[in-house]
Amino acid sequence: MSYRKLFYALNIAMMGSFIWSLWVDFFTEWRPYQNKYFAMAADVLEKEGKTAEAKKMRHQWPEIKQILNRDLDRIDRCTTCHVGMDEYVNPTLKNNFTQNPYKAHPNVVEINGKHPFQKYGCTVCHQGQGMGTTVAGAHGRVRNWEQPLLDGKMIQGACVRCHANFEHLKGTEVAAKGKQLFYAHGCQGCHAVRGVGGIISVDLQDIADKPLERIAGYNFKRVKYKGKELSEDDWTRVHWILGHIENDPMEVTPNDPEAKLNAEPIAPSGMPNFTENDATGKREISEEDAEAITTWLMSMSPETKIPHSYYVDAPVPPEPKLSGAAHGKLVFEKYGCAGCHGLHGSKGRRNFNAKGAGQDEKEPVKGMEKGREPTLVDVVGTYTHEELVKKIATGVKSVDIVKFNTGGPTPPLYMPSWKEKIKPDELNDLAAYLLSIAKKQDVGF
Amino acid sequence: MPTLPSLEEIKKEVIDSQIWRSVFRGGLWKDTPRDRSAHIIGNVWLHLHPVRIRKRALEWTYTWGLGGISFALYLILTITGVLLMFYYRPTIDLAYRDIKDLEFAITLGKLMRNMHRWAAQAMVVGVIAHMVSVFLRGAYKKPREFNWSVGVLLLTLTLFLSFTGYLLPWDQLAIWAVTVGTNMAGATPVLGNEGPLGNLVGAHINNDVRFVLLGGTMVGENTLLRFYVMHCVAVPLVVGILLILHFWRIRKDSFSAAPYEPNEEKWEVWPHLVKREYIAAAGCTLFMFVWSIVMNAPLEVIANPNVTPNPSKAPWYFVGLQELLVYFDPWIAGVVMPGLIIVGLMAIPFIDTNPKGVGYYAWKERKFANTGFMLGITMWFTLIAIGYWFRGPNFFWYWPWESWLIPKAAPRLTWNVFGPNPTWRLWCTPNLSAFPLWLGIPVVAGLGAASLLLPKLIQKELDGWKTNLAIVGALALVAAAMRISPLHVSLGQGAWLVAFGWMHFYFGFVMPQRHIRTLDWARYIVTMALVLSTTAVLLKMCARLAFDIKYLITIPGISMNI
Repeated sequence: MSYRKLFYALNIAMMGSFIWSLWVDFFTEWRPYQNKYFAMAADVLEKEGKTAEAKKMRHQWPEIKQILNRDLDRIDRCTTCHVGMDEYVNPTLKNNFTQNPYKAHPNVVEINGKHPFQKYGCTVCHQGQGMGTTVAGAHGRVRNWEQPLLDGKMIQGACVRCHANFEHLKGTEVAAKGKQLFYAHGCQGCHAVRGVGGIISVDLQDIADKPLERIAGYNFKRVKYKGKELSEDDWTRVHWILGHIENDPMEVTPNDPEAKLNAEPIAPSGMPNFTENDATGKREISEEDAEAITTWLMSMSPETKIPHSYYVDAPVPPEPKLSGAAHGKLVFEKYGCAGCHGLHGSKGRRNFNAKGAGQDEKEPVKGMEKGREPTLVDVVGTYTHEELVKKIATGVKSVDIVKFNTGGPTPPLYMPSWKEKIKPDELNDLAAYLLSIAKKQDVGF
Repeated sequence: MPTLPSLEEIKKEVIDSQIWRSVFRGGLWKDTPRDRSAHIIGNVWLHLHPVRIRKRALEWTYTWGLGGISFALYLILTITGVLLMFYYRPTIDLAYRDIKDLEFAITLGKLMRNMHRWAAQAMVVGVIAHMVSVFLRGAYKKPREFNWSVGVLLLTLTLFLSFTGYLLPWDQLAIWAVTVGTNMAGATPVLGNEGPLGNLVGAHINNDVRFVLLGGTMVGENTLLRFYVMHCVAVPLVVGILLILHFWRIRKDSFSAAPYEPNEEKWEVWPHLVKREYIAAAGCTLFMFVWSIVMNAPLEVIANPNVTPNPSKAPWYFVGLQELLVYFDPWIAGVVMPGLIIVGLMAIPFIDTNPKGVGYYAWKERKFANTGFMLGITMWFTLIAIGYWFRGPNFFWYWPWESWLIPKAAPRLTWNVFGPNPTWRLWCTPNLSAFPLWLGIPVVAGLGAASLLLPKLIQKELDGWKTNLAIVGALALVAAAMRISPLHVSLGQGAWLVAFGWMHFYFGFVMPQRHIRTLDWARYIVTMALVLSTTAVLLKMCARLAFDIKYLITIPGISMNI
């Protein structure tokens, strides 16, 4: 090819690639959605006989629309596609379209009335990437955005972030149920929430905002959802939390009990397996309940991220006035004892490599998996009231736990010293309650 | 009805007008040699060229247009960079958001950012390739020594420009790559708080060279502003000044370094050189356009100083130095090695006294220079490839086909050869030293001195085949002896020993003995120091990978570990 031909060819190709880039830049994903909305809205106006308004609607020039939330310093461009929720195009915020992104916001009168869209924007509740103008980008289903859209009922978690009174609100029932389940199953025995609760595992106060690199190292390979491996799009915090309740946590976090990768063995996750069947033959926490707990936990983002004016306070409900064993039962539930010792102390939960009472050690390495926390109804009968109070007050350090396999890892769970947390009269009543549920021992005769 | 003027007449009228003549000078183009010369002389930009040029310098295969392409990329970077500056604000609250705006809302924003990012990568490659081609053509030799040194500075500044730009998107990739890079600066001897001798002169975390770079003790708001100003103003200014110098020198020293032949043909720069330059620049621009439309620049999660990605890798062109961190302490890998590379490259024209091979590819006439240089370049890119493709979480070795999601066991524990509290036992002493310092210092110094001096002291020409055979045989004997002895060296370790030992002796003894033993002492010592520090890297890699040796000698008192 001669230089002259090359010269023309390259110039034309450069011009062509510049036009190509303009083309790519102009024909964006959002443009057809907005055009289609204008057409649909114009059709409706025409049917109503408003010809002039219909014409104006139809010939609008599409543009990126955005809402600025000044309190959160956020830009939400969601209304670029969800045009029906843009006050300037659709002042009533209502329409009869049924499909996203055209349809109006459900329950719009109440929600827009209390939280005007123009003030709050969208992502404050729905999460997602407000600045995004592509479907995947805006919905936050891209690798560089860690707050994807909250699906379905999970959005109730967003309400709880500001509404401390959520247990009395309409529309946050699932989150309220989740909170109740969290405490009923004794999760707070190990997991503190905003500093209140046990210290055995992580505080969950920021779990809904925790960087994925930190909590999972971007490794969701062992987290299964309904028995199936997750696709990479679902590598989210929701699935990380859900995965711990819906799977055996030991499978999610197996660690290194046989010291294959590290110098010292490390026990697998100490979290109980909530898919195990309880006394009634059902899973201790059903899939629905697991989602409820996750919904509530998705409200756990650092308080500093929300402007103070957004908070809705709620009074702390008074504790019921009880005494004796009845009060002790309340104490047992309040401090999350069920987390390790099972509901009503009926069955000690798994504690890797901890030799429970009456367990043999013929096969110490295999036996590690059978390690258990004490089953209170079986063992407390061997204590006197004073001994029991002392035991709970001092706890058992993890180094003092008898191991199945002495070369194996330190058991993940241990009995903390409760004397700083449980008040003396609470402790007394707790011991009374425990002794009342103890199985009667066959002593003598 | 008056007749309309013809096109020719209009053209003449326009060109003869006062406005045209005042802007463009010269009259109607008649394509005479005089016109062609006037075109170059009368234009300040084109005047960086001579009027006529030797025909051999016009061959594509002579330069491959690499210098010109590097400059074209620099221009693309300037244009896209200035456009990006209209949208980007260098504060930690806004930087990442502005990048998102470029991606989602700004007309052609994505294209600008992609093009800036990819052209920066391409320019690093282009400048290195330019340097290699200039070296292989011997075009740095007298009188071009100084221009070669300016070129080395420009290469360094290109890397620094790219590095400072790395931080600006303020994502995880940015702050951790910069953290890795600036932590190496913190290991500078004397000037860094973690470097040897640093504590002696009072270098602390808040007054050392790293602090100056970061404007703080960690990557933060000040760092972003500092890097922004360096990236957009300070460094481009210096690069611009040096580029003018570089071009001016090329013009003064004439294109193509080869000695003149009698009656050599000269061609006019306009149009012969200018059209070639335009084609190269246009092809390069087209390539950048297509690449930038098809491929998006990477962007990670917003920067979070509290969350370290595992692994954190430096920008790819520094990954080789990061890989060296596996084998050496940071002050060697991050400061001494790059320092030696830059100074060594600049020293090349002054230590290479070989008058042959100027202006053409000369493998046979410049065996030593080409071998040494290409060994360095090969090692640089091999280390980059290892660091980039073969290192996974915890910087452990992961083959490219292995998933990073499967955890790996830590590598075996290491030991030191010479150091305090010796055990007098090889292999079985993890984290300890085998032999004492009083033995180590003279042994290491003696070995160093012998390697440095021996090639020049043996003035007899050694037979290549016999010497190589003797070295391989001796190494094989040592390996065999170590296998039979209680040390039980494995066959693989033996092979490593023979292979890397031979490389060391071939490049560090046989080649210098054959080629530079007649050099004067000053040039000889400098050359040998550079050659031996290159082969020392090979030896240390072998010692670490095959024999788990961490340090050859460790003196903890002054944090001096080699």
